[in-house]
Amino acid sequence: MELIPGLSLDLGLQAWAIWILPFVAALILPAVGKASKRATGWVAIAFALASALCAVSLLPGALEAQEVHDQVNWISSIGIKAGVLADPLAVIMANVVGWIAFLIIVYSTGYMKGDKDIVRFWFWMMFFIGSMQIIVLSDNLLMMFFGWEGVGLASYALIGFWYRDKAKDHVGVQGRKVLGLMDYYSPTHAGMKAFIMTKVGDIMMLSGMFLIFAFAGTFGFRELMHDTAWATSMQAQGLLVPAAVLLFGGAIGKSAQFPLNEWLLEAMTGPTAVSALIHAATMVKAGVFLVARIGPLFFALAAAGFALDQFFMVIAWVGAITAILLATQGMVNPEIKKVLAYSTGSQIGYMMLALGVAGLSKQFVDGYTAGFFHLISHAMFKASLFMAAGSLLHVVGSRFMTDMGGLRKHMKKTYAFMWAAGLGLMGAPFITTGFWSKDAIFAAVYESGSEWALPLFAIAVLTAVITAFYTTRMIGMVFFGDKSKHIEHMEKEGHHVHEAPLSMWVPYGILAALTIGIGVIGLTAEHGIHELFTEYLAHTFHIESAHVEAESGIGIPFLEGINPVALGASLAAFAIGAGLGYVFYIGRFVDPVKFVNSNIFFYSLHKVILNRWYLNAMVYWCFVVAPLWLARGVWRYFEKTAIDAGMNMGVERAVGWSAKVVQKTQTGVAQSYLYVFGAGILFVVLFLFI
Amino acid sequence: MEFALLQAVFLPLLLAPVAYILGRKVGPTAATWFTFGLLLYCTFLVISVALSGNYEEHYTWTKLFGEFGFKLDGLAIPFAVIIYVLSTILALYSKPYMIHKFKEFFEEHAHDHSSESGAGQSTALVESSAMTSYVNHQSGLYFALYLVFAMGMLGTVLATNLIEFYIFFEVMLIPGFFLVAFWGDGPRRRISLMFLFWTHAGAVVLLLGFLTIGLNVGSFDFTAIQESKIPSDVVMLAAVAIVIGLGVKLAAFVFHIWLPYVHGAAPTPISALLSPAMIGIGAYGIFRLIIEFLPNQYAEMALWLHIWGLATMIYGGAMALMQDDMKRLLAYSSISQMGYILFGIGSYSTLGLAGAEMMYVTHGLGKALLFMTAGVLIVQVGSRSLSKLGGLAGKMPITAVCGVIGALTIIGVPPTSGFMGEWTLFYGALETAIKDHAATGSVLRMVTFGLGLVATVLTMSYMLWMLKRVFFGKLPENLSHVKEASWYMTAPMMVLAGFTIVVGLYPDIFFNDIIPYMKGVLGA
Repeated sequence: MELIPGLSLDLGLQAWAIWILPFVAALILPAVGKASKRATGWVAIAFALASALCAVSLLPGALEAQEVHDQVNWISSIGIKAGVLADPLAVIMANVVGWIAFLIIVYSTGYMKGDKDIVRFWFWMMFFIGSMQIIVLSDNLLMMFFGWEGVGLASYALIGFWYRDKAKDHVGVQGRKVLGLMDYYSPTHAGMKAFIMTKVGDIMMLSGMFLIFAFAGTFGFRELMHDTAWATSMQAQGLLVPAAVLLFGGAIGKSAQFPLNEWLLEAMTGPTAVSALIHAATMVKAGVFLVARIGPLFFALAAAGFALDQFFMVIAWVGAITAILLATQGMVNPEIKKVLAYSTGSQIGYMMLALGVAGLSKQFVDGYTAGFFHLISHAMFKASLFMAAGSLLHVVGSRFMTDMGGLRKHMKKTYAFMWAAGLGLMGAPFITTGFWSKDAIFAAVYESGSEWALPLFAIAVLTAVITAFYTTRMIGMVFFGDKSKHIEHMEKEGHHVHEAPLSMWVPYGILAALTIGIGVIGLTAEHGIHELFTEYLAHTFHIESAHVEAESGIGIPFLEGINPVALGASLAAFAIGAGLGYVFYIGRFVDPVKFVNSNIFFYSLHKVILNRWYLNAMVYWCFVVAPLWLARGVWRYFEKTAIDAGMNMGVERAVGWSAKVVQKTQTGVAQSYLYVFGAGILFVVLFLFI
Repeated sequence: MEFALLQAVFLPLLLAPVAYILGRKVGPTAATWFTFGLLLYCTFLVISVALSGNYEEHYTWTKLFGEFGFKLDGLAIPFAVIIYVLSTILALYSKPYMIHKFKEFFEEHAHDHSSESGAGQSTALVESSAMTSYVNHQSGLYFALYLVFAMGMLGTVLATNLIEFYIFFEVMLIPGFFLVAFWGDGPRRRISLMFLFWTHAGAVVLLLGFLTIGLNVGSFDFTAIQESKIPSDVVMLAAVAIVIGLGVKLAAFVFHIWLPYVHGAAPTPISALLSPAMIGIGAYGIFRLIIEFLPNQYAEMALWLHIWGLATMIYGGAMALMQDDMKRLLAYSSISQMGYILFGIGSYSTLGLAGAEMMYVTHGLGKALLFMTAGVLIVQVGSRSLSKLGGLAGKMPITAVCGVIGALTIIGVPPTSGFMGEWTLFYGALETAIKDHAATGSVLRMVTFGLGLVATVLTMSYMLWMLKRVFFGKLPENLSHVKEASWYMTAPMMVLAGFTIVVGLYPDIFFNDIIPYMKGVLGA
């Protein structure tokens, strides 16, 4: 525990408080809710703010690469300790989570106003935030897993928040079938799907954890770094790479990466504030954070001569595949929240890609910084976009973009903020955080020197084109063109489209402004993080980065140190994607429906993408329909016949006579039972003490 | 405290007639609170003794069998505590459930009677007083049997002598049989006989094993048993007999025939005791008799137990998926959970064994909660068929929360105690797998470990699906009148729900006892 002069608070305590406070709030909220439902919102806001402030108080130390590490005894019989580890990585992440969560909580007071189950909502929101902060701050894998399952549980509860399964809370199009299976899901189904699919990742993570624990005898991140003899013996038995990859399996599940990505779409059944939280601050970011947490450890091992290339290769490829796979689907989906969900998965893929190539390159810190910087910028603009989408849903009363249209005159603020945040997602050059972080990823991939650098780079750039396209499409469909029939119908009935209330637009306004505001000084910000992480990695993991003079052939002073190829690629990607989007959806020079139907290739491609590359249907066929079918077969032809009819009936005949005897005793008169019973007790007592 | 365990075991037996008389003369409330108070006192005795660490009591018995003793050590403490905590709490829960049941029976009888005589013109007053006296009689009998059932279970895990163990093992069977036969659902007599037959058959096989050991060693006292004294050609036979006898109790795969019937049909508070507390005693037996007393035989059969456990896990889980009756689903789930315990027993490592015992604790808490949930549904809704339920979370929030916590405990989600059992258990399995792999290059245990983890996903699937069909989704129109259950039912559930979270956050409550014991038996 350290004390910083001028700050009289014990920093260890603050680090604990960051995650404990939300849980305290969750515990007292039901009681508060009994007294006054209105007060619950204020309690939630107060605790979220307090937690975020605790995170801020750690920031000065963290920016100087200090760390706070504080442990207490937990399961002493196995020698496991619980602890908080507030190093620069954790503190920055805790701030991102804390502040974005705080803004979302403020937004929720408007969005969830009047919901009769509001107490349950706050409970799970605070539980969610607390669990995420455990993941961020815990100093060992086991405690992290508590948070890990905590966010899974909270997501189950919040995705299925509207558990009454009303038609308006479903996602998908009713009646639409893919490979014979419905593509229309209720909130409770979606919650279950999310929980079970992420659990598949979790069991992989558990196996990875166990493998490491079996050799190292500890779950602690610092302890694992301190003495790496475990890695030697694991390597000897050929288990080091499997353990690392299994650990990454947890991140695949939680961050909705390929092949465990299919839950993310249905997660849109939750209230939009929840979607914002899941996508920006908690849950899916947990996977990236896990990789950021363990990545340096494995890189340090790799630098010490362990063969871990395969591990980083897996991360990079999973990221790249997810990025493009989900981005393509974002182009065609008609539901605004689903477009954003696809976009999240795809952007997380970018982060994984960056962290993966970091391990493959000589300059670990480049990719590492790029991935983490993208996490921060994505958290801001995606939270903003989701909250804005929530406003749209709130106002229009439909999740389909085809039910919107022409809204720019009626919701000017939302329109402006959505553009700002959307530009961040598209990576609009030089003024958005998204541009800088994405450019850093391109550069890291391009410069990594890995044998797969070029294909990965090509996928990343293609994804950027698609991203720019679908973002423009989304904004075009919602705000441009004519009003949809749905809105006209609403207006006829006297519901006028209006701007969202103050408590809602302020939070996403702030984040949209930050996307641009930090974007303007983006390069400086990136350099700051880069320096901090260089020092952090060198200090904690002994990963020294050679100070390479970047090839700066551009000659423009403020672009010093930027890779020209990466820069050119990002500019081109933005221009092509946004341009196409403009042609189809803003300028509306070409009708996209006619265009798709114009030839068989586009038509089939559109269909395959709209059917989610048939992946979702395949998951259901293989892991739901087939096992149930199998279980039914065993039930019918084994349990009911061989076991039940065979053994039980056979025995029953044999003991038939005893049944007759017993039937005689069933006189129905309690008194006679009592005599028999009393005699029995007497018998037993006598027998015991003869 | 002198005679603490003697009191804890025999007070319920000796005072059972008092419960009967109280019920008959005063009414179900008095019998309930008497039973509760008595068991609470006994629970405190057990816990206070357990806090002081290992503890033994010995009393002279017969020359023939040896000493009559009670022993509370690291192995027995978690079993004993869970058995009595559940028994105590479920006594309160029994009251509304059993009164509901008695009234149902009374009306059945009355209906039969009136249709037989063809008159059926009895006035409401007569009927209500007849009903009261019927309920009083029945509740007295119920609580008397209940007390004996509880003491039988406790006696088994405290016994220090093979014959004593066997007697208690049978003592818990007899009241169990009557409880099912009198107040079960469906064809209860047939089912109770099935229960009696299968578990008794198991017990006889067990007794054969005991006799083999006892006659060879020359004493039935636990302290006298030494593996080396038994001729090598019969010792394995004895071990197998014991494992099969206990396997029937555990309802391990193939011997699970009786369990879905019995646990589905038993009155719900009894299901909540049978399912987690009683069948798990089979696991206690394996720990005590095989792992502790016959370590060499254990070493030989560990892998088989492991695989048997895996098969039970997966089979029980798959069958649970197919159920529509909630109590039957829970019964199959219990089979699957017993598979986890066997899986852990077969892991042959300290943490795996500790995890297996922890599974008993968490399964006790979680499954009791779930059966209690089912009981609430039976009383408040009148149905336990999953296809007829749905959307009840809004109607009965406390039950829903407790039921969900119970399900999470079974699934093994932190911060419930289930996770603490599960991670240690699977870690233990992996530890041995790694050792095997390093020593012989065999990946068999790696595969079983992986399949075991996959089975946890299966567990999660049937549990969440069950929750969805009971508490979430659309509320059927005929259920719009449903109300939350009385405090007699919800308060016990809340206590257990709190307990499972406390254990999940601070498992040392039980691990402090379990782990040193397991280290001792494995010689690690």
